[in-house]
Amino acid sequence: MATSVTAVAALAVFSAPRSLPQPPAPLPSRQNVVSFVGRPVRAHRRLVAVAASSPATPPDLANKVSESIKQAKETCADDPVSAECVAAWDEVEELSAAASHARDRQKGVDPLEEYCKDNPETKECRTYED
Amino acid sequence: MAAFTVHTSAATSLYSPAGTAILLRSRSRAYPTTTTIRVSCSKTVVIGVAADSGCGKSTFMRRLTSVLGGGAESPRGGNPNSNTLVSDTATVICLDDYHSLDRAGRKAKGVTALDPRAHDFDLMYEQVRAIKEGRAVEKPVYNHVTGRLDPPELITPPEILVIKGLHPMYDERVRDLLDLSIYLDISNEVKFKWKVQRDMAERGHSLENIRASIEARKPDFDAYIEPQKQYADAVIEVLPTQLIPGPGDDEGKVLRVKLIMKEGVEHFAPVYLFDEGSTVNWIPCGRKLSCSYPGIRFAYGFGTYFGHEVSVVEMDGQFDKLDELIYVETHLSNLSTKFYGEVAQQMLKHADFPGSSNGTGLFQTIVGLKIRDLYEQIVARR
Repeated sequence: MATSVTAVAALAVFSAPRSLPQPPAPLPSRQNVVSFVGRPVRAHRRLVAVAASSPATPPDLANKVSESIKQAKETCADDPVSAECVAAWDEVEELSAAASHARDRQKGVDPLEEYCKDNPETKECRTYED
Repeated sequence: MAAFTVHTSAATSLYSPAGTAILLRSRSRAYPTTTTIRVSCSKTVVIGVAADSGCGKSTFMRRLTSVLGGGAESPRGGNPNSNTLVSDTATVICLDDYHSLDRAGRKAKGVTALDPRAHDFDLMYEQVRAIKEGRAVEKPVYNHVTGRLDPPELITPPEILVIKGLHPMYDERVRDLLDLSIYLDISNEVKFKWKVQRDMAERGHSLENIRASIEARKPDFDAYIEPQKQYADAVIEVLPTQLIPGPGDDEGKVLRVKLIMKEGVEHFAPVYLFDEGSTVNWIPCGRKLSCSYPGIRFAYGFGTYFGHEVSVVEMDGQFDKLDELIYVETHLSNLSTKFYGEVAQQMLKHADFPGSSNGTGLFQTIVGLKIRDLYEQIVARR
């Protein structure tokens, strides 16, 4: 959900077209808008770059969280006040907290630094010292 | 000549690199004799923090270790799922490591992690006392990913030990070992908003599930965790803001935060605004300082909290600029800063941390400075 919101924001940000062909006649904006919409491929590339920015929970932990939620709902369906139900929701809370901490640990990682560690010779990773 | 060897037994590890405890065993004698020489150069200062946010590097711990100096990392070469943080001066231990029941055990018995039946308070007391007296311990490790207890890790006595978890003040013996205790009291509305922010990206979570989870844990929380408030020397209470009418702030970003400080605690002087012992209501925004919506409102007063005399500093609103931060810092007193602007500097250093623009960050930073001040006073007295 969060990533789709950022993707829409990215589309809004990058909607200033760099090299759309300028129509010779002075019928400007309507034609430009149509020609931008008619080129979804350009927008697609930018979507990919933005999606990588928010860290995701490691898959095994994410699975554990959803499993525990399912189990808690089942346990509580019979008797919402039983000790088992409470313990099941407590487990959900514990796993959600662990997932959140795992995401925090990943957040400190800068994707550019990671890439440059493996590929120091690429253009983005060149350092210039005078 | 008797040959001496230094032994470390598996059960109680008495080896400590600071040279504070040496166990000597003589080999050549017919009968084994052991002489324990305990040389305490320094006693560890122990701080207790009661918080319900699990065992990760929480924002409060990050701010605290930053004020004390040095970054906090997991112990090198140890269990990657260790809950312990070690920095140059401080070690943070998560009390979940003293679970007597692992996740399967708790499920079988129908017991939550909030229930004292799931914790081994005897071991907690023994080990905290050992570290306070300068002896290293082998502390168990609770793995939050697998939900089981892992092999123990070695904890050597640091200068400052912080025990963080759900029950630092629950057991009376452990309470007596604490030099300062802090309770983070998040109100239910704010708790719900923060959990929504934290969990909505997870697959399978929904608003109803989050609410159900909070509601299910509430009885145990009220019965076992809330009562610790009365023992705390400082309480950081986080409430919804009063500056935005109606359900305006959905993300829980603008907050009303109270710092409740007990009077008469050794080495701990409460923060005050303008005139100690009076009641003040202050809106700094005006001619000298311009603030953006919703602004900032401060209050200072005194009263009683669970039968104790307390001073309360309260901040409602949001910081928008560095100017506001410095302006506010100029007017607060007894902050235990080492130089003018230290609070602002610490807040700016971690401007990306949650709570950096409201009272949670401000009061967490101030409490960190108070802890540093308490530690220095204790050390100076030796």
